[in-house]
Amino acid sequence: MKELAMAFAGIFIAVATLWAGQEKIEVFPGSPYEKLIIYENLIIFWIGIIGLVVIIGMKLREIKRIRNMGIDREEKDIPVLD
Amino acid sequence: MNCPRLRSWFSERYDVDGIRDLFRKKTVPAHRYEIAYYTGGTTLFLFAIQFVTGMVLSLYYIPYFEHAHGSIIEIVTKLNMGWFFRSLHHWGAQIAIVVLFVHLWCTLLLKSYRKPRELLWFSGFILLVISIFFGLSGYLLLWDERAFAAVRVATGGAGNLPLVGGFIKAFLRGGMDVSGDTLTRFYAFHVSILPLFTVLIVAGHVLLVQYHGMSVPLSVSGQTRKDVPFFPNVFYKDLIVWLIVLGMVVTFATLFPPEIRGKADPLAPAPENIKPEWYFLFLFQTLKLFPGQIFGLNGETIAILLITAGILFLLFIPLFDIKSQRGEKSPLFTWIGMIYLLYFLVMTVIGFVS
Amino acid sequence: MKIDYSLVSRRTFLNTLFGGWLLAFMGGSAYALLKFAFPTLGKEPDFVILDADQYMGIPENSVKPFAWGGKLGFFFKRPDGTTAALKGVCTHMECNIAYKPEERKFYCACHKGWFDETGKNIAGPPPKPLEFFDVRIEGKKLMVARKGIKVELPKA
Repeated sequence: MKELAMAFAGIFIAVATLWAGQEKIEVFPGSPYEKLIIYENLIIFWIGIIGLVVIIGMKLREIKRIRNMGIDREEKDIPVLD
Repeated sequence: MNCPRLRSWFSERYDVDGIRDLFRKKTVPAHRYEIAYYTGGTTLFLFAIQFVTGMVLSLYYIPYFEHAHGSIIEIVTKLNMGWFFRSLHHWGAQIAIVVLFVHLWCTLLLKSYRKPRELLWFSGFILLVISIFFGLSGYLLLWDERAFAAVRVATGGAGNLPLVGGFIKAFLRGGMDVSGDTLTRFYAFHVSILPLFTVLIVAGHVLLVQYHGMSVPLSVSGQTRKDVPFFPNVFYKDLIVWLIVLGMVVTFATLFPPEIRGKADPLAPAPENIKPEWYFLFLFQTLKLFPGQIFGLNGETIAILLITAGILFLLFIPLFDIKSQRGEKSPLFTWIGMIYLLYFLVMTVIGFVS
Repeated sequence: MKIDYSLVSRRTFLNTLFGGWLLAFMGGSAYALLKFAFPTLGKEPDFVILDADQYMGIPENSVKPFAWGGKLGFFFKRPDGTTAALKGVCTHMECNIAYKPEERKFYCACHKGWFDETGKNIAGPPPKPLEFFDVRIEGKKLMVARKGIKVELPKA
């Protein structure tokens, strides 16, 4: 466990030094306003995903309920109205 | 969304009900290793992200060595959301390779490659090679100093193979050295040759999965279990996994946009301590283990021969593993799979730290 | 000996002919394709000619790069004033090397390889010493040639 932690720390330090090492081409919008918008959008995106996941979870529970009731199989000789 | 006329239009021409029944009949075994079934679909999803982001990036990228680097800077700094989609393409590739390796090891350790699914294993292996080559060729398109040096090392390493090495090296580089010709070549590989083969082989791979059905690991095949229908249960679970993976990729892309270094210069000294992409690190680290000379032979050639032997053994493992072919447990090959996994992990971590 | 019936039926003969012909045809086409896909290789130059004024005047214990074909070459003035030219490419994995004046050594950053002033591989993974060139000065021309190559300038 300790070795693992050390290894991760090592990776982190290596990455961090690489990060701070050299002046680089700007790959992220610089102004605080744009940054705010971007992070906000990221949060909204996640809210969208979580919402979808929750709805799918509800659907899955519904499917399970129907299966437990045993009405998921369509009857073959059901009279059709048309 | 219930269009009876459209529906009847189709059902008059195609056997819609038959196709739907086929789709409904697909079941997925439920057992304690079922999580492994999601890795393949996730890989497919990440490939789809790569295709879409790659398409939009190719609208702006200029595959010529004088302009390539500049055009990427243009994409990142001037275009709407350009930085985001480049970053998404980068992180999508990284995570696709991670998931691909997870998928590989799930298949290897659960022995899903065993008879009758050998062709699935082989096609998957080809896809792995294609993905790695995707990574290498995409890396050079950035045309910055690090990519330049890394591709020089990687293609030079292929040149150490006996007999065919020089051939492969020259073919990849499009000349004696990494140059503007190499960039053109790698661009062609990256946007036309590899994607076409990927689509073909992925289609074959997925069709084979449908043909064989999901593999059940030997350790749980004897137990009684209830199979769940693919639609809707597993389909919705797949969707959840995909959404979360999409969220992760987008988060990584936003928080850690990959850096761009200075433009590649064939006459500049190599940048300090360059490292290849992480999925090459274990190879790189293996090469470092070998001294320059072993019994008067070139150590590198021996290392590359050994690596090739290891990879070929992994490729043909379904043919070697006779016990699981007969449907018996084969702990020996579980151990071999574990050794491969441990070697990969340990060497990658050492490569990172050193 | 005469056989009453041919061992090869007309059908197998035709099938073999068709299969073989098809194989040869496709093989030829594939060969043409591969021949095109395979690049025409440029060669490394035998010699390059540089401007002597630009290169002879560099300070001692320093290098000045020049283009050796598509690769990196170094014109090198040692601390004692002697000059040499060498290929600035590591013999290990073909990375470009750099000169470290304070240590008086050549250094390859890719895998931490070291070469001394004479190009000998002294530390790290490089298996061979660096390649040195012959240097000759004729008037204003500095001729850098591969060892053992006789430079013949075009008369003009």
